Amino acid sequence: MDRNIQKEFEEKLIRTIGQGFSLRWETDSKGVVTGWCRLDDHSRITNVAMIVSGLGGRVITITAYKTKDVHQRDIHEIAYHFDLDGCTCTVTIEIPRNSGKVNSITPILKSADWTERELQELYGIKVVGHPNPKRLFLDETIDEGIMNKLIPLSVAMNGATSKTLWEKVFAATSKEVDTK
Amino acid sequence: MSTYTIPVGPLHVALEEPMYFRVQVEGETVVGLDITAGYVHRGMESLVMQRNIYQNITLTERLCSLCSNNHPCTYCMALEKIAGIEVPERAQYLRVIADEIKRIASNLFNAGILAHIIGFDSLFMHVMEIREIVQDTKETIYGNRMDLAVNCIGGVRYDLSDEKIKYIRKQIDRLKKPLEEIIDIYMNNKFVRARTEGVGVLPKEEAVRYGVVGPVARGSGIDYDVRVKSPYAAYDKIKVNVHVENGSDVRARAIVRLREIQEAVNIIELCLKELPDGPTCIDHLPEIPAGEAIAKSEAPRGELIYYLRTNGSDKPERLKWRVPTYMNWEALNVMMPGNKVADIPLIITSIDPCISCTER
Repeated sequence: MDRNIQKEFEEKLIRTIGQGFSLRWETDSKGVVTGWCRLDDHSRITNVAMIVSGLGGRVITITAYKTKDVHQRDIHEIAYHFDLDGCTCTVTIEIPRNSGKVNSITPILKSADWTERELQELYGIKVVGHPNPKRLFLDETIDEGIMNKLIPLSVAMNGATSKTLWEKVFAATSKEVDTK
Repeated sequence: MSTYTIPVGPLHVALEEPMYFRVQVEGETVVGLDITAGYVHRGMESLVMQRNIYQNITLTERLCSLCSNNHPCTYCMALEKIAGIEVPERAQYLRVIADEIKRIASNLFNAGILAHIIGFDSLFMHVMEIREIVQDTKETIYGNRMDLAVNCIGGVRYDLSDEKIKYIRKQIDRLKKPLEEIIDIYMNNKFVRARTEGVGVLPKEEAVRYGVVGPVARGSGIDYDVRVKSPYAAYDKIKVNVHVENGSDVRARAIVRLREIQEAVNIIELCLKELPDGPTCIDHLPEIPAGEAIAKSEAPRGELIYYLRTNGSDKPERLKWRVPTYMNWEALNVMMPGNKVADIPLIITSIDPCISCTER
């Protein structure tokens, strides 16, 4: 008999966290099933990771993003994309505005390692309990949460490549002044 | 025995892109590894949120060169899911043909680099010469040797006339015999075997734990291919034979990639034979409503995923993608220890790393 991994996931989820979640499954025209789940309590994400681990699943990736809450205030949400034998299940949590922290699932699912480090440095969300929380891509001198800001190119490049341009601009300006 | 830490990279003759490895060695045996990334980080995930939905088709194609077609294709699939667009059947086949042509060129490139690293330069040149057949095909059909620019929302931007179909068939035929010859060399030549067999071993249970994907996973006995597990484009109509090796070493990963070239040849032939008539794209410029979607594809290096959130405006609220190489780096911590210093570049190459993809 074919295994129904979606059903197993849903049953384990009810057994572990009761009613504190919403879940729906979508099937596309090719028969591929995708799951969309939202947890009421963000700390339950470690329970979900344990369920995924128990089912032989893995973390495909994790997306952090800024959005608005019901009061139109900026908040962070994190979408965990798990693979359950070819079925992608996205589990979303909201990070409380006053904490900016989330528990690491890397000790449970090793496949979350790099992606948790990346969201920490890009969005400034503290991942608590990560076994190797050092910077992944960005240098230590760059502020955390860099994805929350718009950095003009001239600032990002620190004027390095535009020096020649500005020398020409200044030279031209000073000539104009001299002429006057 | 003395323990040393030796730097490999960020610029290294055997690596095509920058990555820094601090390798701990005892004598000439590797005992530990530390990876430092970030030398070509471009902040593209931030950039896509400053550009509109259509501009991002062009931008995502420029993430990487070897798997460039998979990015816009998967991004378009995510948009199509949100907007509920049904892609014409002919376009679905044409997407598969473009993807598989790119797969052949990408895998041959890695096979060639492997030969170069083990000092078998005549094989390297031979493989690159065979690859030219594919490069010529891309140039003739798509007008470009790397970025094909074939994808648009709701289909593709190219079509195949009878004359072009005949040309692709001829080019594919030219590949078959040389492919068999080089596969025989990679599998049986005693010098190639001596350098690749039992080197950089990633046992199956570790491959599962690290969540590795693509030929790295299939070389360690994991039977997982997105084209079969979560079919997209025309892969639900075409049989894909997934090649799995149990050697778990550099040789196994190379054989998987070479076998996948042969499979790509079969898939292209099948697509050309069964190519349905009809339009190649939808006939209007669609509006993308608010929503979220997941799209996945099997790039030459493995599973590629795009997660897209839209808010009804012409810019994405968030676009996140995870490239296959991203998952394979950490597994080097398992592959490296116990091997010799001379094998370091070879083991790194065996994951077919794409650094511009990893760092975005």
